[in-house]
Amino acid sequence: MIVREGTTPRIVIWTLTVIGLAVIYAPPLYLLGVSFNPALQPGLPHFSDITLKWYLALGAESALVAALGQSIVIALATAIIATLLSLGAALAYRELHRGRSLWFLTVLLPMFVPGVIQGLALSTVLSRAGVKASALTVIAGHLLWAMPFAFIVILTSFAAVKRTYLMAADDLGASRLRQFLDITLPLIRPGLVSAFIFSFLLSFNEFTRAFYLAGRQNTLPVVLFGKMNAGASPTIYAMSGAIFLVSSVCVVVVALRSLLMQRQAGRSI
Amino acid sequence: MKTSVLLLAAPLAVILALGLAPLVLVVVWSFCAWDSATYWIKPEFSVAAYGAVLEAGRWSVFLSTLGKAFLTASICLVIAYPTAYAMYFLAGRRLSVLLAALLTIPFFTSYLIRSFSWRLLLGRTGVINTLLQQAGITDAPLDWLLFSDFAVIVGLVASYLPFATFPVLLSMRRVDPIALAASRDLGAGFWTMARTVLLPLTYSGVFAGFLFVFVMVAGSSTEVQMLGGAGASIVSVMINDVMRVANFPLAFAISTLMLVIVFGLVLIGDAIFGLSSLFEERGQ
Repeated sequence: MIVREGTTPRIVIWTLTVIGLAVIYAPPLYLLGVSFNPALQPGLPHFSDITLKWYLALGAESALVAALGQSIVIALATAIIATLLSLGAALAYRELHRGRSLWFLTVLLPMFVPGVIQGLALSTVLSRAGVKASALTVIAGHLLWAMPFAFIVILTSFAAVKRTYLMAADDLGASRLRQFLDITLPLIRPGLVSAFIFSFLLSFNEFTRAFYLAGRQNTLPVVLFGKMNAGASPTIYAMSGAIFLVSSVCVVVVALRSLLMQRQAGRSI
Repeated sequence: MKTSVLLLAAPLAVILALGLAPLVLVVVWSFCAWDSATYWIKPEFSVAAYGAVLEAGRWSVFLSTLGKAFLTASICLVIAYPTAYAMYFLAGRRLSVLLAALLTIPFFTSYLIRSFSWRLLLGRTGVINTLLQQAGITDAPLDWLLFSDFAVIVGLVASYLPFATFPVLLSMRRVDPIALAASRDLGAGFWTMARTVLLPLTYSGVFAGFLFVFVMVAGSSTEVQMLGGAGASIVSVMINDVMRVANFPLAFAISTLMLVIVFGLVLIGDAIFGLSSLFEERGQ
């Protein structure tokens, strides 16, 4: 370690780090705890009282189940399209020289557009053009939200593709397509998987854009928002808890994969 | 060059058709008159919508939005900078990956659910009030904890903190450790080193982090809807309210002003610090 911190700086730094993590995690973890509480009033259950009854009651909530199905379909479609388009965008970024910075900003642009404004703008234009609100319109809106993140994830994974690998392949007579299929694609595959999972989760949990673009069949966050404001029933806690758990597991899987890849890369050197 | 054009055609088409074109139309329509008979616009030039933004205290919502964004971004950086330092300089590789994963999870879980959860923690009968009373610190529930600007800021910090941490982390990766070691050899204490060497070398990350949080908060609505009091507002919520009476030109005028502010900041930030360079690998 080149930098030597004293004890005080270390304490200050770790304290602020822990405060940050606490602020992020206290609410969802508390909610998760509440979801196992048999009582109607929100509160943490005693260990002996832990129950899954609100999770079991979810099956009877037909509106939630229908919205869940709709959300999964929309998120899958969004993830597939966002990953493919972002791959193209990232490959183009690597090819570009002068327009690089401009292209980077263009792909990132939708990320900076407030969800309310993007949702309102897109839904107005679509409805003026006679397009009925449906799963497709929601996918259109979610795509704009997911693509910038997928793009950054894939771009980061391109760090594994050294120029020299491609130059060597080129010297050996491999076509551009062969270089892509045999060298680039295997090296960035973890990035593509991460981009797919993250796009899925971003779409699955997106509320504001779907709020404007959803048709008669609402997505899960839109239905949840209605229920949250209409006086809470404990099944909301169970649904929220389930969504948080599944989302977290997905991110942890991605993180573990990248850790494993790093370790293998470290061993091979 | 030809391959790159082919590759960027599809994503560009999506961004232009679904993203940019509707925004351009919003800007154009914001300069039209409202037709109260059809609840749509009349195709005649008018700046009445912009006049309406200035009246009835709407501009104060703009000010309070910018204030909330500034405050949230500042608080986020105060927490994010040490976190990034801990991840890059203090933690071992395994702990560092764990911290990165812990910070990434909230990115991809529902901000709706996280905002809602704060209600359970901050409410009159929530955990924090209960604990404060049990500890004898207060003898009645604190009312300002929930449905207040305090709750909104807490919810916003929790939602957007990772947007500040990762740019700072990226900029720290670019710092040459030799520079830090040199300052220590020359007798600088930790705080002097941090202030005079590390911080200036990571300004791009600090600014990018500030910008990301600022822009995200400026466009947020859920946290305010869930945690704000009856009078609390933010531009996105104001747009929602205006849309209840289908006053399209006014909603579009508010949107246009917001877009000008947000894009202006992003472009200035990029011109000064080069946002894209943050994501490029060293020595590529």
